[in-house]
Parts: sequence; structure tokens; C-alpha cells
Amino acid sequence: MVDAPYAIELTGMVKRFPTSDGGVYTAVSGIDLAVPAGRFVSVVGPTGCGKSTLLNAAAGLAPPSEGSVRIFGEPLEGLNKRASYMFQQDALLPWRTVLDNVTLGPRMKGVGRAEREQRGREWLERVGLGPFAGAYPHQLSGGMRRRVAVAQSWIVDPDFIFMDEPFSALDVQTRQLMEDQLLRLWTGSGKTVVFVTHDLDEAISLADEVVLLSAGPASRIVGTYPIDLPRPRDLMDIRTTPAFQDLYRAIWSDLRSEVMKSYERRALAVSNG
Amino acid sequence: MSDALSRSRTAEPALDDAEARPVDVAPDAAVGPDAATGPDAGPVRRRRRRISPLVLFLQVAVAVAFVGGWELLSRIDVLDPFFFSSPSAVAERVWTWLTTGEIYDDLLITLQEAFYGLVIGAVLGLVVGFALARMRLLAAVLDPYVKALNAIPRVVLAPIFLLWFGLGIWSKVAFAVTLVFFIVFFNTYQGVREVDRVLVDNSRMLGASESQLIRHVFLPSALSWIFSSLHVSVGFAIVGAVVGEYLGSASGIGYVIAQAEGTFDTTGVFAGIVVLSVFVIVVDLLVNRVERHLLRWRPEPSHAEVV
Repeated sequence: MVDAPYAIELTGMVKRFPTSDGGVYTAVSGIDLAVPAGRFVSVVGPTGCGKSTLLNAAAGLAPPSEGSVRIFGEPLEGLNKRASYMFQQDALLPWRTVLDNVTLGPRMKGVGRAEREQRGREWLERVGLGPFAGAYPHQLSGGMRRRVAVAQSWIVDPDFIFMDEPFSALDVQTRQLMEDQLLRLWTGSGKTVVFVTHDLDEAISLADEVVLLSAGPASRIVGTYPIDLPRPRDLMDIRTTPAFQDLYRAIWSDLRSEVMKSYERRALAVSNG
Repeated sequence: MSDALSRSRTAEPALDDAEARPVDVAPDAAVGPDAATGPDAGPVRRRRRRISPLVLFLQVAVAVAFVGGWELLSRIDVLDPFFFSSPSAVAERVWTWLTTGEIYDDLLITLQEAFYGLVIGAVLGLVVGFALARMRLLAAVLDPYVKALNAIPRVVLAPIFLLWFGLGIWSKVAFAVTLVFFIVFFNTYQGVREVDRVLVDNSRMLGASESQLIRHVFLPSALSWIFSSLHVSVGFAIVGAVVGEYLGSASGIGYVIAQAEGTFDTTGVFAGIVVLSVFVIVVDLLVNRVERHLLRWRPEPSHAEVV
């Protein structure tokens, strides 16, 4: 067990992007991150600090400029085929029905229609959208579309679930329901989750570990904070427990200084621009 | 239109800007599990466009005023019937054509030419549009040529097409193709290039291969662009066919009009125009039907247009 490779291992990761004016923007630099299998990790940091960059590297969507990405000890080449990715923006195909969207993954992998539709319907039931199998995405509310996206990413039974601020566009109540549902799905599934959010509340209440990124550009990891709150967690109550609030205060004091830096840099950029 | 080709996108998504981008997902207020599963929570709405009685009345009034005015002016010889004919004479001519059936052959020919022109032009436009959108080098190389070809006034091609394809329907088909091709081409090109990056990434993460991406993401996206231009394409196909006939042929509506013109038969010219417009309106209604079916996944505009 001691030698078991990490599910995700980022070593010395640097990511640079060409900017539209011909320059180079370094999003993250010197990132070392190891995530054991089955762990729920939240990544928080100020806006624009390259949180998504980490996800994209681990998913293989945007390989790092320097450094390595290892998935269960193997260097990642191309896409991470064991992962699902839930994007911040709507990623459902507008021209496909809800059922077709949910079953997109199985369909791509050549699962027959009868089987994938049965699985799709099961998943729709599970996320409470049974009656909407034949609807099109635009006919659903934002929260319902998010649930379709959840079903879509879980139906392929991936080892990794990458989530990029998946609930940030939802109102508070819907959001909490979705978080609850996510935890229920995850509990006992053995899946490794990397959950990017700018909401520290959300990060702490869901995760086993919170990773804090510094303000960009060239963000690095400021610290990782183990969250030893007991599971299963009741998301309604957990935020009022003293243990939660201690954790919150500890991480927030670090996060706040990064947020301040981020604001200052922005203000500077604006006054220079 | 064609500067779409030269406007190659700068690099890939420039920055990790997912967080900076405004998210316009409407926050939904009361969508708990219960709200969603209730049978009558069905958000599936069908909105039928209705024409208000007032608008309908005014529309008819415009027609009555125009036709009545024309008839009156030609009766009292303000308009010379030789040059302007009169609605009654035109109606009579159309009626004769329809009852004797002599117009149907011509209509059929025109329809055939427009149809072939539409299909061939659309398929070519689709294929070339796809190819150029997916192959940047090719697009960059061909850009000036596409622009140059599109800049040619089509009428000057008529003599060449008549020489190449003869007086039969194929010279008109070729004519229609040159018009339809560019519309479909530009729309396909745009449609494929502007596919939402997230849709592509999401499908790839779900295991889509390149061909599956084309089938499930790029093609539907391009199709929605193409169908929104279908009305224009159909109109151009008919224009291509009729103009082609007008310039040299032995049948078709364009030929009928040209013949009437050649004998100073104003009534015949107007009757031809009337038949042609009605024909185009009917085809347009059919296109509407097809479009509504194929694009049923699209949200309807929140404010239904009045017409």
C-alpha cells in the first residue's frame, strides 16, 4: 500500500499561454500535487489563478508546458480516458434530447441502443429527471441542465470526476441540493474527485482536502489543508459546527491575502492599461 | 462574408479565462427535485405564432388598395394597358394557363432546375465548407480564390454555361449551383469554426473520436447555420434557374416571361411574375415546415414576431 501510485501526480507543472498581443502568459508554475485514489479534493483560489488549468492538465485537454502529469503512475498521453469532466459552462448538445445527452458517453463507446437507453433512464431517475428524457436542453432550467451534466459524467463510470465550478451559476438552494446529491453519489464510489471552486464554504464542506492556489499569474500552491470533518456529512448543518469554522478561518486567512494580491494586480493592470 | 476565411482565430483559447468569462446561465429559482419531477412541471412549451386580426386586416387592405388602384388606373387610361396591363387581364391569363395546364410543364422544369441546383450546391458547399474549416492551411491558401469566385457577377457566366451545358436544364442547374454553393459554403464554414469549444471538449472527454465529433457536434452545429440560411438558398436556387432560363432556354417560367417580353405581351410578363411569386411562397412555406422540424431543438425566440 505504501508504494501504491497516486491517482494524480502533477510534478513541476508549468503552463504558459500565448496572449493575443504576442506575449506569453504564465498561468501556473511549479505545481506539485499528488492526489491519492478515492480522494475528494477541492481546489480554491482567487479568480483567474489557473484552477481550471490544473484540471485541464489532469484531464489531458491542455498538456502542461513543463513538468509531468501521471495518472496512476503512468505518464498521461493525450486525453485522460478514465476521467469525466463537468464544465463550468453548459456542455450539453443543444440538438440532442436529455436522454441522448446522458447516453452520449456510452454511445461513443459503442454501447448498443437498448442497453444505453436503459442505463440512461436509470441515471435520469437517479438525478430526478425521469420525466424529461425527451426534452431538449433549452427546455430545462439551469439546475436541471446541471443534473443532466452530472448524469452524463457519471454514467460512464469513470475513475476520475473533474468538476470546474460546476454549480457556480446556480442559486443557493439548488446548489446545496446538488452538492448533497454529489456527495451521495460519490460516497462509496471510490472515485477520485477534483472539484474546482472559488467558494471556500463549498470546498470545505465537500472535500477531504482543500488545495489553495495563489493569485495569478504564475500561480502556485500556497497550501493543502486536510479536512477531517466526519462523513457522511450533513451539508445543512456542517457549516455551523465549530470544527468547520476553525478550518474556514484558517484557510480563509491565507485565501484572503491571495485575493487581495489578485485585486491589487488587477487594479494595477487596469491603471497601466 | 468571405472575410470569415481571413479572420483566423488567434491561437487557441488565449488564457485560462474560464473564470473571467461571464456565465449567462439563468439561475433557476425553485427547482428542487420535487419541482422537477412533478408531472405538470413540464417546461415543454409550444408557441404558435398567431397573426393578430388587425395585422391581417391591414395586410389584406394593402393588397386590395394596390390591386384595386392598379385596375382602376388602367381602366381610366391613366396607366397605358399596353405597358402596364391590368390585374384583371393578368388574372385571366393566369387562369387560362392553369386551366389549360400549359404552365405546369414550365413550372415543373423550373422546379427541377432549382431543386437540382439546391441539392448539388448545398452538398458541394457543405463538403468544401467542412474541409476548409477543419484544414487551416487549405483555408488560408484558397481564401483569395474563394473571394474572387464569389465576386463574379453570375450573369456573365451564363454564356459559358450555355456553351458547356447546352440549352437544356443543366446550364440552369449550374447557374443555381454557383449561387447556392457560396451561401451554404460560408455558413458551413462559420458553423464548424464557431462550434462551442466546450461542446467539443466535453464530447472528447466522453470518448468521441474525430468522426464521432463530426457526426454529433460539428455537423449538427453547421446544419443549424445552414438551415437558417435555407430560405435564402432556396430563393437563390429559384433565381438561378429563372435567370438562366431567361437568358437562353426552351422551357421554364423564365422562358415564358422572356417569350412574353419578346412579343410586347405585358400581361404575359406580369402573369409569369405572379405565378413565380406564388410558387416561391409555396416553396418557402414548405421550407418553413422542414426547418421547424429539423431545428426543433432550438429555443424559440422569446418574443414571437408579429408576422
